[in-house]
Amino acid sequence: MPELSRPLPAEDRLVLLPKNPGVFFIFWQLSSGRAEAFRSGAFAPEIELRLSCVDDNAIVSPIKAPWPAGRCYAAVPAQGRTYQVSLYAFRNGAWEKLMESNQAAAPAAAGMAEDRAYASLEFHKKVLS
Amino acid sequence: MSSRGSLMFVLHAHLPYVNHPQHSSFLEENWFFEAVVETYVPIISALERLAAEGIRPGIAISISPTLGAMLENEELENKLQLYIESRLELIEKELVRAQDEPALLKAVKFYQKLYEDAAGLMHKYSGDLITPLKALQHAGQIEIITTSATHAVLPLLTRPEAVRAQLAVAAEDYTDRFNRKPSGFWLPECAYEPRLNSYLKLSGFNYTFTESHSVEFASSFAPNGVYAPYRTTNGVGLFARDAASSREVWSAKFGYPGDPAYREFYRDLGYDGDLEYLRPYLGVDGARRPLGLKYYRITGEGTDLSAKQYYDPEAAMLRVEAHASDFLARRMKQTEDFHLARGTRPLIVSCYDAELFGHWWFEGPAFLETVIRKIRQERLPLQFVTPSEYLNSCQEPQELTPGISSWGENGYFDPWVNETNDYIYPAVYAATDKMIETANRFRNQDLPSLSARALNQAARETLLAQSSDWAFLLYIGSHAEYAKGRLEDHAANAIKLLGEVIEKKVDEHALAALEQKNSVFPRLDFRVFASISKF
Repeated sequence: MPELSRPLPAEDRLVLLPKNPGVFFIFWQLSSGRAEAFRSGAFAPEIELRLSCVDDNAIVSPIKAPWPAGRCYAAVPAQGRTYQVSLYAFRNGAWEKLMESNQAAAPAAAGMAEDRAYASLEFHKKVLS
Repeated sequence: MSSRGSLMFVLHAHLPYVNHPQHSSFLEENWFFEAVVETYVPIISALERLAAEGIRPGIAISISPTLGAMLENEELENKLQLYIESRLELIEKELVRAQDEPALLKAVKFYQKLYEDAAGLMHKYSGDLITPLKALQHAGQIEIITTSATHAVLPLLTRPEAVRAQLAVAAEDYTDRFNRKPSGFWLPECAYEPRLNSYLKLSGFNYTFTESHSVEFASSFAPNGVYAPYRTTNGVGLFARDAASSREVWSAKFGYPGDPAYREFYRDLGYDGDLEYLRPYLGVDGARRPLGLKYYRITGEGTDLSAKQYYDPEAAMLRVEAHASDFLARRMKQTEDFHLARGTRPLIVSCYDAELFGHWWFEGPAFLETVIRKIRQERLPLQFVTPSEYLNSCQEPQELTPGISSWGENGYFDPWVNETNDYIYPAVYAATDKMIETANRFRNQDLPSLSARALNQAARETLLAQSSDWAFLLYIGSHAEYAKGRLEDHAANAIKLLGEVIEKKVDEHALAALEQKNSVFPRLDFRVFASISKF
């Protein structure tokens, strides 16, 4: 997977972005203190990302990810609703919430007509190649 | 004949900010030079011709702030002049080379006129193409609108401060450039979400545009579909793009640009010609690259590049006539069908990237001019209308909250968020968050001039990091290293400058170099990133 060439400041950050009606993109960064807690084994190496619906507080099945991964994709439970994600780490037999993300709305949509010409892609593929 | 419907053409002109004053020649600056010669000059010339003939074009053009800055950048203007002179010098040699081949000679002469026209218009306006655009708007011939400061996909900026900064900077930039407040706002990539309504209103914009399916998936039923404007709950006008008229022009498969008589984009003298002969016109690395001299026509679907036939400008113009007639006949049918079904006159909103016309679809500016001229000459019951005109004259639009959408592939945000480019967002957010935090910290302080300059430059770098272009180039795998480098540079520059201000260790020499290189938004005040609740 491609990565940035330069390190970023070590800060806590958890962001939820819409990708399409079926998929959210989630990325996270950790402060040095928290990263060290993972590295030293104080936190278990796997985190949980818990997506919850802001409209009705329903929580869907958590997504597990290795803490250094930094990003993942999550299926949208229901189109057209607004969600938030929380990042949990496991320590001393219990899950601890470390961060909450912004709220993001999932687009509402059915299938798109295939023959629609989506302008920017077609142009840039031709022009900038 | 009275109008049966209205046509609204919106051309969105945008290029990422590419300015490398420390290099005499830089590959990516050619995007700008090619677009000027093939798109902006032919479109401006067509609009001026129509206006001179008493035919009011009545179209809207969105000029992105980054493109506007490049059009006004004197160093880029000087490089553009050298670019045009260099092409004309090569064309002189090509005229000799082609003298025994009449078909080739015809194509070469056509390019000679294209570059001479570009040189002529640049000379007429002393290198500044904003001047004729401003004059056309002032004379009521066209309406010019703007887009976000650096063409950020706004639904992907989760911080309200970041969205507000993109819009506020764009509004100020427009006012400085066009001597009036902007009315319309082009959402970059037509990317909409309801959260944007309040920011559009706050920045003083009267209307915007959304993709057609934003109406299909709106919060309430839109009885007139894309054929009428709407308004948001806070009164911002909304125009939805008509998919049919877009497809006919955009699609290489179904649309006009794929006609066999039209110019072939991919076969270029830069790849065909003798390397030694071409060397003076290539970059400093001597590698083959497109030179913009494309002498062949599409010839046929699937025809191998080596089997293409010479471009015949006159034959192509005959096809332009036919395609313009076909386009208008289809719009007439659309308006008639709608009128029969609903009893009212529809509005057809056709939005395109401006660079499609001329750069990619070489005959596009001629098509545009022919369509506008035909409506008048053939007294067709259609009229071109600008967005402000339409909103001023139509009945109160229905209130609507469109659905989240974009005009990108699949209709949402896939081109800008996928496994080829998702790794950039931590850098974009690191710079953005730090910028907001630092703006809040220093917003009410009297700062030494050096610190203020550093903060303002950090704001420029943050805005440039947010541009949609970097993610898109990474997605299509074109100029990917350049895009990645630009994004990382801007984010790193912002973070470094902000750190230097906090530590009171601003490197003035490095700051001056950045101010020269990334010189957009000269009046930018870093406080535009401050949180609104703290005012």
